[in-house]
Amino acid sequence: MTQTATIGRLGTHSEWAGTLSLTIDRRGDRCIAVKQFHDGALRILRPHYLDESGQVCYVIINPGGAYLGGDSYLIEVDVAQGADLLLTTQSATKIYRTPNDRAEQHMHVRLAANARLELLPDPLIAYREASYGQVTTVDMDPAASLVMAEVVTPGWSPDGRLFRYDEVRMRNEISIGGRLVVLDNLLIRPGVGSPVDSMCFMGEHTHLGSLLVVDARVDAALVEELQALLAPLDPEGQLGITLLEGPGFALRALSHSTEPLNKILAAAVDLLRERWTGQKPLNLRKY
Amino acid sequence: MPNTATKRIAVTFDAGASVALATPVPPGYLLPLLQLSDSALPTGAFSHSLGLESFLHRGLVHDEATFSDWLTQFIRIQLVHSDGLAIRFVFEAETEAEIHRVDRELHASALPREIRAAGVKMGARMLDIAGSVFPCQELENYAAAVARGDCAGHPAMAFAIAGKSLGVPLAELLGTYMFSAVTSLTQNAIRGIPIGQSAGQRVLRAAHQEVSDGVVLAQTLGREDFGVTAPGLEIAQMQHERQRARMFMS
Repeated sequence: MTQTATIGRLGTHSEWAGTLSLTIDRRGDRCIAVKQFHDGALRILRPHYLDESGQVCYVIINPGGAYLGGDSYLIEVDVAQGADLLLTTQSATKIYRTPNDRAEQHMHVRLAANARLELLPDPLIAYREASYGQVTTVDMDPAASLVMAEVVTPGWSPDGRLFRYDEVRMRNEISIGGRLVVLDNLLIRPGVGSPVDSMCFMGEHTHLGSLLVVDARVDAALVEELQALLAPLDPEGQLGITLLEGPGFALRALSHSTEPLNKILAAAVDLLRERWTGQKPLNLRKY
Repeated sequence: MPNTATKRIAVTFDAGASVALATPVPPGYLLPLLQLSDSALPTGAFSHSLGLESFLHRGLVHDEATFSDWLTQFIRIQLVHSDGLAIRFVFEAETEAEIHRVDRELHASALPREIRAAGVKMGARMLDIAGSVFPCQELENYAAAVARGDCAGHPAMAFAIAGKSLGVPLAELLGTYMFSAVTSLTQNAIRGIPIGQSAGQRVLRAAHQEVSDGVVLAQTLGREDFGVTAPGLEIAQMQHERQRARMFMS
């Protein structure tokens, strides 16, 4: 099922603009990359340990500063049994004009039993005349834990107008033991189709926040608890949260800026950290 | 014209099979297709607003014009990218495994819990009805896969499998399914907003072009477009779970 990602020419690329491959395992009471490979315009910073939990934090950097048209990036992440990874980015993923061919990012994640991944990248910013496709596939053990967040901003153009990009596609395919359980397929194409400011699309809002969690510990009571915790952070009434099969939950929120979305996502992530691993609230900007 | 038709039928009675062969009759699939696409088909569609009720609650849909606008968006987003593409992929499937994959992707792409539940519930009803309207091996196989838990079930899947077995051309299959869904939602809007029956008929007439465009889209989009949805619709569908005083189950 994880082979069903269908953006672009997946699997037939002979040349990637950048590749990154990480295998995370536990060594003693800490986790670390036991295999690590990068090539082209993708690097990672040295590992960080933000607390005493043993969870390793890696930061992906794009030395070029942005994704360009025709560029395809490949990121492969394996988290071994019982290992724990926090993966983030150094700065926002920026997509500049892509006159001929869209920029693409393909990410493949494998999570073994009791492995955990928190995937918390900076926002995506697509600028004028940009097209971007992102596919993330996750194949996880039923006893693994996945938390993945995303914020999409409207970008801007020299004339000051928002939503001047051509297309942003973000597709997440999450399988448990080879069985597809979540297919999260977002397509924002401001110029055509359903208007981006229509009530079913984004209304008068400009920023989208999304959180997917797949973990056997999620239940309806946790979803209700999150709803009660997060509702006060959502003055615009644009928050939705729902129980997924897996089990897990999906959260979506719309806003006029990045900050309220970051607060909502952080509050949700912190509750899970406190509840499941006894970790303190995450502060990625400390180091 | 009516006279001619009557005469021709009369002639067939008199003259037998040779004349009957030349007499136009509806294609064999037409009546089963009409039955399955009747908005009064007891699939439970009358109790599912598929997110509409959240927009009613917020006051964004409150009359004929605002409902028509919502319906247009619903057709372009969910009806084309989920139900419509599922019908086409079933139509193009050559193996049972491919049909199962369509079912799985369709089910997994419905993130809001009530939308998944609506698909399963209405899917079971549609499968049952389709099996009695047009019993065939393909429907039996799909029903068995749903019973085993290999497939989740969805009305678009059962409708497409029945239609394919009946020999319905794809464009007609897509058009009847979409217009049937649009009619059910309009009937729900007539009760839920409420708007008058005549207003409902005007909305339906105005939706003809959108459904036709949707039929074209569902035949031209790619696999990567399957299950594409829109955040505002999804959030409304999720928020419906917590809405008080609801008329609809989704």
